[in-house]
Amino acid sequence: MQILINGLVSGSAIALLALGFQAVYLPTRVFFIGLAGIYSATPFVAHAVLKAGGPPWLAALVAIVSAMILSLLCEWANHAPLARRRASDGAQLIASLGIYIVLVQVIAMIWGNDTKTLRRGLDSVTHFQGTIVTGAQWITLGTAAVLIGGFAVFLMRSNIGLRLRALADNPTMFALYGYNIDRHRLLAFALCGFFAGASSLVTAYDIGFDPHTGLHTVLLAIVAVIIGGQGSFAGPVLGALLLGLLRAQVVWHLSARWQEAATFALLAAFLLLRPQGLLGKKTRLEAAM
Amino acid sequence: MNYALHLLVYFNIYLIVALSLNLVVGYCGLLTLAHAGYYAIGGYAYAILTVQAGWTFLPAALAGAMISAILSLAVSLPSWRLKGDFFVLASLAVQALIFSALYNWSSANAPMGSWKNLTNGPFGITGIPRPEIFGWTPSTPLAFALFASVVAAICAFILWRLKRSPWGRLLLAMREDELAARGLGKNTRLAKVQAFAISGALVAIAGALYASHVRYLDPSSASLDEGILMLSMVIVGGLGNFRGPIIGAAVLILLPEILRFVDLPDAQAANLRMLIYGLLLILMMHFRPQGIAGEYRMG
Repeated sequence: MQILINGLVSGSAIALLALGFQAVYLPTRVFFIGLAGIYSATPFVAHAVLKAGGPPWLAALVAIVSAMILSLLCEWANHAPLARRRASDGAQLIASLGIYIVLVQVIAMIWGNDTKTLRRGLDSVTHFQGTIVTGAQWITLGTAAVLIGGFAVFLMRSNIGLRLRALADNPTMFALYGYNIDRHRLLAFALCGFFAGASSLVTAYDIGFDPHTGLHTVLLAIVAVIIGGQGSFAGPVLGALLLGLLRAQVVWHLSARWQEAATFALLAAFLLLRPQGLLGKKTRLEAAM
Repeated sequence: MNYALHLLVYFNIYLIVALSLNLVVGYCGLLTLAHAGYYAIGGYAYAILTVQAGWTFLPAALAGAMISAILSLAVSLPSWRLKGDFFVLASLAVQALIFSALYNWSSANAPMGSWKNLTNGPFGITGIPRPEIFGWTPSTPLAFALFASVVAAICAFILWRLKRSPWGRLLLAMREDELAARGLGKNTRLAKVQAFAISGALVAIAGALYASHVRYLDPSSASLDEGILMLSMVIVGGLGNFRGPIIGAAVLILLPEILRFVDLPDAQAANLRMLIYGLLLILMMHFRPQGIAGEYRMG
């Protein structure tokens, strides 16, 4: 039961990030590795605000807004110009990788390479059905539930959500109906920054942060996207929860050091045997692009 | 002087790395992040065989190349089906698996190199001997630099011949239009397996050279950062021809060395070096997607 809860908590943090990744990937087909840099930067901003004497809610707000701005800058300065020039997916990916490297190094040069934490002292603990759940874990679960639920409603009920799904489905058709693709791409990147920021903050609050956590976590999120199915918004959430549960089981039954091997073996298995993911329809991979 | 020779050795090592990576990225058009993994496999095979079994350079490096060529099936088989971002992910999975195998294949009680403690885990392997070829050991820096240059020249020559052969043109045809190449009756799957095997074998020799130069090896040589560095060399230098990767290796080896002469604290210098790599990647994709001297555009 304890393992289940731990897995669920780490899974829901991954789910938020995976949703952020998918918010960009599905409509724009940009493989947004630069997200890892944004993920790394967010808690440092929050930390700086806290240090300057700001209240926690202000720190969270400033951090998330800055994550969104960073994400918009990436699109405006890098991905949109490349897309306009019809650069290949490979070029987008490499440029995005470049963004990640630059962001992380800038963070490390400003704030140093050490691990920091957002929390002071020990966390509060509640007992629930014979398991121990910390306050930070409750926050993670709550935030993930609210944001994922909110995003589902937004996608399904609102007009903008409908348009985002339309853009994901068929960009050319979408443009033919007279909608502005560039503006909706910006919206997708803003959403992405929002989710990455939220995911990063709850994780940083729970277990601390350093500049180099970003890429690793984003890779986990991408694995979740592949497992769940890269053709929908629900897939990544499902994939992330499963991944979180699996990783917790590996820690319990084998050892923490085999976590990575298990994760990437799972990725390899899915890529080879079921590349469309759990929720995907069976199409050729190239056709899905 | 020793400093310049040391740089020359590094340049030679990364010359082999960049040229062999170019065979896959530039000629087959498949972006792979797993190259560092094969580099480390070559280094580890060399280290274990020389330290534990007392082999000399040539058999140890060739054995490493064989192992690496066989293990390259792990990336070449996925390349049959996967393209673009998905292939990059598959290669990333291979890199992560190799890294965690090197990192975790250890046990505190067993001696290094035995089956239970093959890689000595995060502590790495120390005391790797200098290479010995037919009784001759390059023990001075100058001799070692010469030795590295000869090895690099041999590897470069092999690749140069391959790329000018009909087989090299088959790779180009496959990169431009795989369906058409298959339509002409070419076995593109076999060609991919061969390209990855050759590239893996050569980079394993580069890994053995590295292990015998630094005389210490730990799993970080298989890390993702190393893979990204190798990829940036090829992309910055230029894809799809012979001089591009050479220029890329030279630029990415020499550029950070210039920073040494600027007064910066050590930690900042390392960060600044990576920062420059990242900036180079972005700028290249925007203004010169084929690299400094390349022929094939990623963009």
